Amino acid sequence: MAATFFGEVVKAPCRAGTEDEEEEAEGRTETPEDREVRRQLARKREVRLFRRQTKTSLEVSLLEKYSCSKFIIAVGNNAVAFLSSFVMNSGVWEEVGCAKLWNEWCRTTDTAHLSPAEAFCVFYHLKSNPSVFLCQCSCYVAEDQQYQWLEKVFGSCPKKNMQVTILTCRHVTDYKTSESTSSLHSPFLKALKTQNSKEPPCCSLLEQPNIVHDLPAAVLSYCQVWKIPAILYLCYTDVMKLDLITAEAFKPVLSSRSLKGLVKNIPQSTEILKKLVMTNEIQSNIYT
Amino acid sequence: MASRYDRAITVFSPDGHLFQVGIRGTNIVVLGVEKKSVAKLQDERTVRKICALDDHVCMAFAGLTADARVVITRARVECQSHKLTVEDPVTVEYITRFIASLKQKYTQSNGRRPFGISALIVGFDDDGIPRLYQTDPSGTYHAWKANAIGRSAKTVREFLEKNYTEDAIANDSEAIKLAIRALLEVVQSGGKNIDLAIMRRNQPLKMFSAKEIELQVIAIEKEKEEAEKKKPKKTL
Repeated sequence: MAATFFGEVVKAPCRAGTEDEEEEAEGRTETPEDREVRRQLARKREVRLFRRQTKTSLEVSLLEKYSCSKFIIAVGNNAVAFLSSFVMNSGVWEEVGCAKLWNEWCRTTDTAHLSPAEAFCVFYHLKSNPSVFLCQCSCYVAEDQQYQWLEKVFGSCPKKNMQVTILTCRHVTDYKTSESTSSLHSPFLKALKTQNSKEPPCCSLLEQPNIVHDLPAAVLSYCQVWKIPAILYLCYTDVMKLDLITAEAFKPVLSSRSLKGLVKNIPQSTEILKKLVMTNEIQSNIYT
Repeated sequence: MASRYDRAITVFSPDGHLFQVGIRGTNIVVLGVEKKSVAKLQDERTVRKICALDDHVCMAFAGLTADARVVITRARVECQSHKLTVEDPVTVEYITRFIASLKQKYTQSNGRRPFGISALIVGFDDDGIPRLYQTDPSGTYHAWKANAIGRSAKTVREFLEKNYTEDAIANDSEAIKLAIRALLEVVQSGGKNIDLAIMRRNQPLKMFSAKEIELQVIAIEKEKEEAEKKKPKKTL
């Protein structure tokens, strides 16, 4: 039982199960309608991978179709902006697929010109070295959709000879530490890697009891289970919207083994990033 | 972890977005803020970060605009109420303590949330002494000689520590230049994104126009160039 703000007493949901469970179970028999609704909902929440140019869906998983030596995944608008400006502008990348999904928080867009404000999940490979893959994911992938996403991208039996790098952001208020808040200078980078990853991280490792959430956690767990070397670079920031200082905080990653050789002109990329942030600055009058 | 509790107070991170600097001179107090970029069709005058609380006290804030409006109104009423009751204008410390206590009350009340603003309060007391205070959403306040709030505040504070000398602040125009130089360290687009206000003893708040700020920026840049030119000659 729990008391609400208004003083009424409500029955708090109990995951341990109640004594009345048996009685309740009898009343909960599924009707054909229920099954149909459940089926439609499952279909709506399906993660689909397809090629935008041909509008055909991919029959096999992305990394089963193509061989992959490096896979870089950016999750969230700041990580996406960083990869866009530094990596994608330093080479010719060809789109190989995009993930279409729907959940209560977002619906991925189909438009050709994607802005950082929209929700999308697109896959590219480097034309000069087609085994290098990149994923720009700025949509929220719900818990029930993460496994589907992994299956559609990595497949059911992934090859172990690829190196996976994930970039993402998290709000600094989620960072648990015994240090005082005033000594934390956000944004700052933390790394977490799988057992098979031999690459030395370019920042300190994420300390306990901090945990990783959402899609980056799902990818990292998947790689750990399948013994794929993977490393996650997590940027703790105090500004969750697209922000220049946060995106620039990923710069140390440019010296890592995975990204080395993929970035050509850093000063020019910095200018491109600045432009990207400026043009997409949503005028919010809530703050002064 | 014990530090989780104080994290919630700063969850708005009002000091994370825009920059402010305050300097207490011998005969002048200066407030400089980074201007928020407004949409083309928006009237710039409605976005004011520096406001007078009374004839001799003014405040610059960063954070939730609506929260600031409420705090400023309450502070202004308190200034007048104090004047009517005790026939003396408020001291800068008094009104700062009033604002800080108001903020603290909201961190400890049922069904309320803290005010999401950080403020720099400057002014002159009746005895003619200049004051500068800083408050934050938790309701704490401290007196400063010079301070900066916002992103990269640490870098600017180090700059101020190096350049805040008794000679610099004794001269009004040097104090103004110091504030602008501190802002230019972090404000990316230079003079046009800076707002500046000064207050001299027994004088009302004076807001600098864009032109006046531009002139100051030009003067500062000239001084910088001259300082650069002088350097190699010394080594010869």
